[in-house]
Parts: sequence; structure tokens; C-alpha cells
Amino acid sequence: MKVALVGNQNSGKTTLFNCLTGMNAKIGNWPGVTIERKTGTIKGTNYEIVDLPGIYSLSPYSTEEEIAREYIFKEKPDVIINIVDATAIERSLYLTTQLLELDTKVIVALNMADILEKKGIKIDEKNLEEELGTKVCKISALRETGINKLISEIKKGDKLKRKPIYDVEIEYLISTIQGILHSSDSKIRHSRFLSVKLIEEDERFDKYQTQEIKHMTGLLAKKYDTDFEEIIATQRYNFIEKVREKTVIYKPVKDDLSDKLDKIFLNKWIAFPIFVVIMFLVYYLSVGIIGSNTVDMVSNIMDSFSEWVGNTLQSIGTSEVINSLVVDGIIAGVGAVLGFVPQLIILFLCIALLETTGYMSRIALLLDRVFRKIGLSGKSLIPFIVGSGCSVPGIMGTRIIENLDEREMTTMLTPFIPCSAKLPIIALFSGYFFKENSGLVSASLYFFAIAIIIISAYILSKLVFKNTSNTYISELPEYKLPNIKYIAKEVWDKVIAFIKRAGSVILICSIVIWFLLSFSFNFEYGVDIQDSMLASIGKSISWVFYPILGENNWGATVSAIQGLVAKEQVVSSMAVISGFSEEVGEGSQIFGNNTIFSSFTAASAYAFMIFNLFSAPCFGAIGAMKRELGSNKKLLKVVCFQTFLAWCLATVTYQIGSRIENGTLHLADILVIIAILLIIYLIVKNSINKKKDKCINCPYSDSCK
Amino acid sequence: MKLSKLKVGQEAKVIKLNIKEKETRRHLLDMGLTRGVVVKIKKIAPMGDPIDIELRGYELCIGKSDLSKIEVEVIK
Repeated sequence: MKVALVGNQNSGKTTLFNCLTGMNAKIGNWPGVTIERKTGTIKGTNYEIVDLPGIYSLSPYSTEEEIAREYIFKEKPDVIINIVDATAIERSLYLTTQLLELDTKVIVALNMADILEKKGIKIDEKNLEEELGTKVCKISALRETGINKLISEIKKGDKLKRKPIYDVEIEYLISTIQGILHSSDSKIRHSRFLSVKLIEEDERFDKYQTQEIKHMTGLLAKKYDTDFEEIIATQRYNFIEKVREKTVIYKPVKDDLSDKLDKIFLNKWIAFPIFVVIMFLVYYLSVGIIGSNTVDMVSNIMDSFSEWVGNTLQSIGTSEVINSLVVDGIIAGVGAVLGFVPQLIILFLCIALLETTGYMSRIALLLDRVFRKIGLSGKSLIPFIVGSGCSVPGIMGTRIIENLDEREMTTMLTPFIPCSAKLPIIALFSGYFFKENSGLVSASLYFFAIAIIIISAYILSKLVFKNTSNTYISELPEYKLPNIKYIAKEVWDKVIAFIKRAGSVILICSIVIWFLLSFSFNFEYGVDIQDSMLASIGKSISWVFYPILGENNWGATVSAIQGLVAKEQVVSSMAVISGFSEEVGEGSQIFGNNTIFSSFTAASAYAFMIFNLFSAPCFGAIGAMKRELGSNKKLLKVVCFQTFLAWCLATVTYQIGSRIENGTLHLADILVIIAILLIIYLIVKNSINKKKDKCINCPYSDSCK
Repeated sequence: MKLSKLKVGQEAKVIKLNIKEKETRRHLLDMGLTRGVVVKIKKIAPMGDPIDIELRGYELCIGKSDLSKIEVEVIK
């Protein structure tokens, strides 16, 4: 038996799914958390249950809503559990009226029963069942009440008692059309639903449309002063209002905590400063405070562990090669990455808090106007913030954006946000080169990323993505106290995923790097590091990084390229390489005295961080971008754009930074550079405008992109 | 009166949706913005756009450009 879980966004669907299956799917307090459908088995049964993305109606506006609708029609679930947010029953029942038109059994799960009383709402369950003509179960997904009853209802085969929803004429027309549909195909499913869609003239169902139906609909349309789309929606809501009057009793309770909080968080003057402070704190806490306190401790533990392993291996008589593989390869590589787990815990915790409290929806609202000016939507901010944990779910989250151009632009800009895997790079460089200012420097990178996103989006929306929209329609959820259990699980899952990656991908890469470093092309072991395979490979392409680092540094070159596998691999690779060039027993300091990286300066460190931040993301994120962009050609363009931009930004950063370091940067130089940039800007702007002038007289200017 | 012109705390009844883009119009209808529904302006985003309105027992944020195409009759 197949069960589909259908409901509005933010109605507690995912919580119920976890509760029914015992799995831990992602839960958040912003519309659109379920980005792809999830499947599980209901506890104690063999029923398959699918958690579909939240929808408000069966007419889709965004990709994720399309997924939900497609599933219901193509996969033919046996039962639909329609989760209804009891605190917003009127809007929630709108979807229910549509689901009840399908030929599938529907069970209404009236969720959030636990907070109804607090809100002064009383719902007569039995009466509601009678009015809707289908089974209703009161549950609380969060408190896990009413769940067993819900499961037992799935088993029962109660048939639907259909109630008329529209006025007499429309109901009559519907049954006539149903008759026509059945006479042409006796096995047709969902005929009532189809009939309504045909009356609305929804072009997605054109293949069922006939002249006869069109004629009948046309005749009835004369009775109303607007189109059927509006009439049907209005009559559905009229029906719901009547049902509500009969079944729901409101005793308004004064609960304006959300309004009070919004007076602060959405205040005209302080909303932006608060947002900036919150985002700054996220980075400052994780990299600055936590980072500086744990980095030495963790590296000391790692040092003594690696010494202990080395000694143990020697004492049991392993050869020098194996000893080096374990100590210089595996432990140095994997250990370098694992050292950043404390910072990651804080970062993941902060993101989880932003998501579950409802502040995330406020950020979208706060920045919509700003983002709209640069061709993005306020909703783009959600992928960006999720992307500061990991780009992959961030990129997938772009599906909540309705407009195609805005969605693609967000997809290509999301990897610019420093993700948790880039955090080790940032923490390593800023911790060593900027010491007590490390928190400040890492936060500066975050804001630098935002600035670059804004500038890129502005330019892209003027040159490439011109069909951005002006529409913003989104529910504003109330603030909620975060559920500690779920937050702990969420952080735990993400940290475990990071550690697993260190134990698999990073481990294998470290072994490969160790091999390429230990052997020359003649497979001679223990050669001087300069003669190793890796050095030869790196030297042949290190000129690419010359303008960024001010030298031909093969070690940094090969490390940056490995960022494609996983960004934290950059750090891991640097640790392995430096371990080789160091005098034995001097500890695992990457930038220590005699390593290839000791020539790094603050300027080249900052430039190198910038390159790694903006260049092509890891393969995982590239794959996610391919899924969202849908074509290899687009993907290639995007990856090239990202990498080229990264190179340019890093070059500019180093060239300016190193001159500041040497004290050779003069005010006049800066003025000349600004003047040149200004001229380029004017030329570009003019050429864009010229194109527009030419288009005015063109007959195709409206339809042309 | 246009819905976008209302101040925070004002209530109004929806009279007509003058929205041409089919998808947007459909979306707003589905969210409950049908004729005769009573809406209340709850909050306005710091930059004056979008605007958060209360209707049918929940809150919905809508961009100003679309709100200006919704004809309403002020009640309070």
C-alpha cells in the first residue's frame, strides 16, 4: 500500500513523516523545506509513505509543487494523508477541497492539536468529518499524539461521501462533463477533478477538452461576471467558510508575541543592523571564539596521536614506507580536516536555529526589495543561508523560487557563500596570518561574498537573465521556540556526515597525495620532495596561480585544484605536503619554517582564500547545479564563470594587498585604478543601453529576449 | 482604493483582482484572496515592500506591485 503525505508548506508535514517512520528528515520553520520527496515505511506496517513538498493547491507555481502534483497523478497512491494546520484551518482546507475531488481515499490529519487550546480554538472533529465527508483525525506531530489512531485509519477502507461544494449550476455542469469523460473512457480516474479543471480551462488538461464541453462551459460563463478560475476558487472558499462556521469556535486569545518580536526584527531602522550582527555572530562565534580556543588543543592531540602511532608502528617493525603512509599521509590528511569539527558544530547549530525559529522567513522579507533591484528574489536568501552549511541543499532549495531566471541565477551564486567545507580553509589561513583578528577576517570574507553576489547578480540580470519577475507571495510563519531534540539531531547528522567524508573521500585523497609526493616518475621512493610526481604536476601549472600568490608555488596549486573533490581537501592536502617538507619532529605546522607554504604572506593568504571561496565548487555541488540547470552547456558556462571570477578577484586582492604590505601602494595608483574601472563601467552600461535603443523599433521587441 | 495604499492596522474587503499574469492571479486566489474576503495590514517590511497581510487566520506577504493591483473597500 502506498500512502502520500500532502499538505501546505510549514504545516508540520515533515515532523509527521518522521513521527510515522521514525526517520529524521529535515525540519525547518520556513516554507519549502521538503525539496525532494522522501520515502519511508510506517512503523509497525509495511505501508510505503512518501513525504511530498508542501503545496497550497493542485495548480503548481514552482518546481517543488510540480513534484507533489506529478506524484499524486502518476504514482497513484492508495491513501492520501492530508495534513491540515488546525491553527490556519481555512487556508489549509482549500487544498483539502481539491484532494476530495480525486478518486483516492483522503484522511485529514488535523495537526497542532496541542496548541489549539492556547490559541482559543475549538474544533468539532466529528462535525468536521460530517461536513467534509471524509475521515478526520486530531493529532499533534510534535507531541506524537493521535498517531496510532491515524495509522489504524489508513487500514480501514472507508469510502468517500462526496459533498457538493459549488452552486447548483456548476455542480450540474460537473456531473454532465463527468458523464462525457466516462463515456469516452470508462476507466478514467479523478473525473470530478478533471471536470473542474476543464471548466477552469487549465491548459495542462487540454487533451481531455472537447468542443461540447467548451460550448457548455461557455454558456454557463455568461451568468458570471468573471472567469471560472476565480469563481471556482471563490466558491471553494465560500464552502470552507460555511464548514468553519459549523465546526470551529474561536475565542480570541491575545497572543501577539510574533508581532512584538517583528516590531524589533522587522523594524524600519534596526532590522538591517540586527541582521548584519546576527550573521556576523554566526561566523565570529564559530571561527573566532570557538576556533581560536580549540585549534591548539586539537592540533596538540593530533600531534601526540600521530607520534604515538608512528612509534607503535616502528616498534612492531613496519617498514619506513608504510610508517610514512600512515603518519604523513592518512593521519596528517584526515587529522587536518577533523580538527575543525568544533567550529562546524557551532556553525551548524547557528544555521539550525535560524531555520527553526522562523527568523529565516523574516530575512527573505527584509531583503526582498534589495534583492529585487539586482534581479533576485528575497527567497534567494534562503538558499544562500542554507548554503553556508552546505551548497548542495542550498542549490536544491532554489526550487522554491517561482521565476526561472531568478532560480538559475540563485543556483549559480549559491556556491559563492562560504560553506562549512570552506570553513577549514578560512579558519586555517585567518587563524595563522591574522591571529587575534581571525574572527573579523572570516566575517569579512562572508560579507565580501555577499558583496560579490550582489554585484554579479546585478550584472547578470542586466546581461543574461533579463526575465526576472516582480512577484513576491509567501506565507509568514510565527516565531517558534526551537525544539532541542530536533536541533541536536540535525547538528549531529551534519557533523557525522562531515566526519564520514573525512573518513572516506579525504582519506583516499590523502593516500593518493602521499603516493604522488613519495614517489618520483621512476617509482623511486623517498626522493626529494622537489622531484616527486606531485611537484612535477604542480610546477607545470603553477603559473596560473602566479598572479595570486606572487610566486610559482606548486604545493598551493595542487591543493587548490583538489578543492574540486571537497573544499576541506585543500587543507588536508596542504597538511600532507608540509608534513613532507618539514624537519622530522617539528610538529604539524603547515606554515612552519621550512615548508613550501612558509612563503605565504597575509596578502597571498587572503587572495588564496578568495580563490578557493569563489572558484568552481566541489563535485557534489557541481552535480546539484547540473540537476537544477538541466544542461551540461549551461553548467560549463557557470563553472567557467565562477572560476574565472575567482581568479580575477584573487589576483586583484593580491596585487593590492602585497603593495599595501610593501608600502608601495600610492593614493594616486588607487585613483587611477578607480578611474579606469569607472570608464569600463560606463562603456559597458552604454553598450547595454544602445542595444535597448535599437530594440524599441523592432516589431519583435516584446517577445525577444 | 488599492490594497497597497493602506496603513498598518487598517482592514479592507477585497473587491477585484486586476492582475494580468495568470500564474500570479491563480496563486493569490489559491492563497485565499477571493472577492469579499476581509484582509488586515499587519506589517510592512523595513524597506516598505513587501507587505504582510492577515487573512483567513494566517499571514501572507505580498509584493507591493501586486498589491497595487488589488481593488479593496476600506472597512476600518
